[in-house]
Amino acid sequence: MALDPRIRINLERSAILVVDDNPKALEVQTSMLRGFGVRRQLKCGSAAEAQHYVVSQELDLIIIDSAMPDMDGYDFVRWLRREAPEDRRYTPVLILTGHAARGMVEKSRDCGANFVITRPFTPEILLQRIFWVAKDERQVVVADSYVGPDRRFQNIGAPLGQKGRRKDDLSTHVGAATDPNMDQMDIDMLLKPQRASL
Amino acid sequence: MSDAQFVKVRYKLTEKVAQAGGMTAGMASERAGRELKAQREEAHHALGTMLGGLEAMNRERSAQPTDVYDAATQMVDIAGLFDMKSFCDAAYSLSELTDRLRNHGRQDWASIGVHINALRLIWTRDEDGSAEVKAMVDGLWALTDRALEKPPSA
Repeated sequence: MALDPRIRINLERSAILVVDDNPKALEVQTSMLRGFGVRRQLKCGSAAEAQHYVVSQELDLIIIDSAMPDMDGYDFVRWLRREAPEDRRYTPVLILTGHAARGMVEKSRDCGANFVITRPFTPEILLQRIFWVAKDERQVVVADSYVGPDRRFQNIGAPLGQKGRRKDDLSTHVGAATDPNMDQMDIDMLLKPQRASL
Repeated sequence: MSDAQFVKVRYKLTEKVAQAGGMTAGMASERAGRELKAQREEAHHALGTMLGGLEAMNRERSAQPTDVYDAATQMVDIAGLFDMKSFCDAAYSLSELTDRLRNHGRQDWASIGVHINALRLIWTRDEDGSAEVKAMVDGLWALTDRALEKPPSA
């Protein structure tokens, strides 16, 4: 769904860290953010430098390239979600990917980023994803094998015939009523318009 | 295995984005588009230089599939920021081809060469979306899809 061009967005006071080992790509991404009105941009060319920024600066968003030498974007997010200082762990992250190499698909799914943006993309797409992050109400899941935003955007309960894995999953089985049925008069009273005294 | 915990997080970005001021999404996209336009020529030139590197690899035929893969993905990374769809798609096909080749310990310079020539053509014409270019990119993908069917070659 495209972002409504009339929506107002204020990114002037946001601190955004951009990480890419390709200097040209880094320059282009920061110029896009400048266009969006972001005044406080931090940029670096490696995940190791990004780790330093996470520890020393307050960041509102991190945009990181997936493929980088030494530590790639996915490993960086895994580090962030598990080993960064506690108050920084859930800093939202957008990962930019180019080619999705076969061995990286699961790594991408499990790293814990808020959203993955696949190239090619337009400024509209980047802005839309930033807006999605700002409106993201998903809870963060902390488990042995995954730390990051809930990968399910909707909670529609456990699959039919299966026991849910979440504590608050409702059973799909409708059992016998525990209370007596309401009689018709009670139902009519509930639906009857009544004068309200204010 | 321990139970998963669910943590409710409120991002600072949420509050900042909603503060008074700023600009409309339309205006922000337009401004970012102008910034990109100012950098497009330089990026196009950088892509040409990267292509030159790939052409040299193809001439010498000594590079490993991973070297070609790295060069191809770098082109995707740059072209992908400028919405150069055909060029990006062709470079993506080359990335996919070399990823498959390296995973099977193979090399196929003939298929790589076809990709590089096509990329040079798209780069030289600097156009996106024409029927001819689209057909050529479709051809590259067909080549990539069949790459592992061929007997191994040098």
